[in-house]
Amino acid sequence: MVKAKEIFLFIMLFALGVFFIYIYFYVKQTQEEIFIKMQENKIEDVSYVLKNIEDALLSKNSILSKDDLISHLSNKKNRTNYEEMISLFITPSIKYIYLLCKDQDERFRFLLDASKEDKANFYQKFDVFNEEYALAYQTSKPQIIKQQEMQNLYLTYLYPIKSANEVIGVLSVDITSDIQSDILDLLRPLETFFVILIIFIFLLMLMTILQIFHYFITRKKIFTDPLTQIYNRNYLQEISPRLNLNHYSLAMIDLDHFKVVNDVYGHKAGDAILAKSSLIMKSSIRDNDILIRYGGEEFMLLLYNRDSKDDLSEIYERVRKNISSHIFTYEKNKIEMQVSIGVHENPATEKDLNEAIKVADKMLYIAKKEGRNRVIYHKDNSKSTKNLNSKDIYFVKRAIEEDRVLCYYQPIYECKSGKIFKYEALVRIIDTDGKIIAPIQFLPELKHTNIHYKLTQRILSIIFDKFKDSSENVSINMNFTDLINKDIETTLKNTFASNPSLASRVTIEVLESDEIQNTALFKEKVKLIHSYGATVSIDDFGSGYSNFKSILDIEADFLKIDGSLVKNIATNEKDFKVVKSIIAFAKESNMKTIAEFVHSSEVYNKLSELGVEYMQGYFIAKPCERLLKESELFKG
Amino acid sequence: MRALTLILLFTLSALASETSLNLQVKIMEKVLNEISINKEKIIWSDNKKICKSFKKRNLIQTAPECKQATIVILQDKNNLPKECAHCIVFVLDYELLAKVPKSFGAFFWKKGRPNIVILKSRLKGLSIQASSALEPYLEEKIW
Repeated sequence: MVKAKEIFLFIMLFALGVFFIYIYFYVKQTQEEIFIKMQENKIEDVSYVLKNIEDALLSKNSILSKDDLISHLSNKKNRTNYEEMISLFITPSIKYIYLLCKDQDERFRFLLDASKEDKANFYQKFDVFNEEYALAYQTSKPQIIKQQEMQNLYLTYLYPIKSANEVIGVLSVDITSDIQSDILDLLRPLETFFVILIIFIFLLMLMTILQIFHYFITRKKIFTDPLTQIYNRNYLQEISPRLNLNHYSLAMIDLDHFKVVNDVYGHKAGDAILAKSSLIMKSSIRDNDILIRYGGEEFMLLLYNRDSKDDLSEIYERVRKNISSHIFTYEKNKIEMQVSIGVHENPATEKDLNEAIKVADKMLYIAKKEGRNRVIYHKDNSKSTKNLNSKDIYFVKRAIEEDRVLCYYQPIYECKSGKIFKYEALVRIIDTDGKIIAPIQFLPELKHTNIHYKLTQRILSIIFDKFKDSSENVSINMNFTDLINKDIETTLKNTFASNPSLASRVTIEVLESDEIQNTALFKEKVKLIHSYGATVSIDDFGSGYSNFKSILDIEADFLKIDGSLVKNIATNEKDFKVVKSIIAFAKESNMKTIAEFVHSSEVYNKLSELGVEYMQGYFIAKPCERLLKESELFKG
Repeated sequence: MRALTLILLFTLSALASETSLNLQVKIMEKVLNEISINKEKIIWSDNKKICKSFKKRNLIQTAPECKQATIVILQDKNNLPKECAHCIVFVLDYELLAKVPKSFGAFFWKKGRPNIVILKSRLKGLSIQASSALEPYLEEKIW
């Protein structure tokens, strides 16, 4: 909102300006009226004089025509008499009085000139350029000429001299502007005062307009994201109090694998993609829709739903398709992008906008979980409400802030030696009631969020702190995106460099998933870990994304067989065969195998039979807050 | 004629904004352009301001000395040098027309209005041809 003070000031100044302009023109008009009145008075006086002159000239000399008049006045004595008589009427304001007549060539000539200065000769030509001279002849009526500041003349009064209803000459009186100038001089200070006042008021108005303009410019800057040129969260904050959610459908949009783009091509490439994506999204929506950069690569879209002719789902789909069909280019690199969209079609049903955003956010995470590049809509029986125990990112955020994150450790048993080979660190959160919350309840919600990276950082800090001075080995779970995160990489590098003994006892367990698309990058990171003496394990191998060629390329140290294959190995022949193949493959590839989810003696025996090097599971030991000793294994 | 009338009207309406000298020069320029003298028109004037103004406008050539000129614009009869005998004269006072036999016309202010008088007989005597635009200003004699 524009500051009310500025608007009020502007209106006041405008009204004041209009008032003073009115006063100025009122004074000018009054001045004009005074002059007209003076002019009328003057002319009235002059006209009586001229009438008398006419009478004296015509009636006493029996002049009936123009020729009579010329003939009479061609006598110098007659002329002198009349000129002396007429000159008596010359005053400071009446400058010239003269008699003109028209010759056969329609040119005006002097017959009499009673002027005391600039006197003309008899019958001398007089060039006149005002049509009033001719009009005086044509209409036989007196004419007034307003002079344009000519030689100090104010106006000229033309009085036609008639004989037998025919104009035979024109008596002309030039009145000076001296009195008018005096009046104008008297009024000038007042006029100047008003002009200065009006200019001053308009300057103030201009300043106020500039201030308002500046406000709008600043406002635009505040509410616009400089990179994408779309609205930012400040704008959302500004409009949210008066935003009628009944009129909008709300969506949270996230660029899939954006972190990978940033890490592989650099932040400049990321910025270019963000800017272009915003442009594409903007061109895919309508003018009355609102697109906001919510943060990082996340956007919020409010689609106006009052326009019944548009199908909103088509618009969401259009956004998704337009992004996925566009080939982004950055420094000759062609990059394909996709978006996941979580939609809340009726945000007004939520308590407030924040709640509606949370729901749309959940839909977005579901879209991510289900493979990305899709639109997921919120419905009452949607997946988001199925798992009542699931925790959102705010729960994790609070837990990190309140230091309620901890690790449990599950021993990994070495079959050959019968000793604990290492411990797998498993994250837990203590909720506000003191209850331990398992990762399944909060990790899926965190994927690809900054909170996930923060949580990983916290886990690393806890583990490194616990194991820095011990002799035990530890296995730490990480996503591929964690591994390529610059901050996490820095933490690993710094810790390993400062404590080589700890580095040699750490195994980074990376989940084998479709996220590992860039094998070269993964290999590079594995090399880095190896350079510090730490080892790498591929987690959940065989869970559905297994790519034997990629695993070979990566040169990991351990292959952890996915629990879904292991748990039924004693009863399911197919699973048995798959596990057997994986073990054989690992041996051929010089990798050690770890079997997880060993929940029974039957599974344990089968795995022993297949020659698995390491095992973990409830049959051996449950995860525990402290590091269990060998004597505490196999206790059921 | 129409053009000259227009320029006179224009000059009258512009009286408020332009100096009388400039107007005077403009009108004289127009008059001199409407005559032909079988020679190149080169102006000299005893009024230095007029000379300067003509020079500034650069439409008619001016001469620093009278002997190089073909037309003299004269304000005062006493200022007419002997070496200007070959020049035709345009005067700046109606009365001067009678006093200077080689003058063919005059420009002067009468009752605050610009006036032009061109003497028909002098035009003939001085072999000057005037265009029809000057007709309203032609006079048979000096009154």
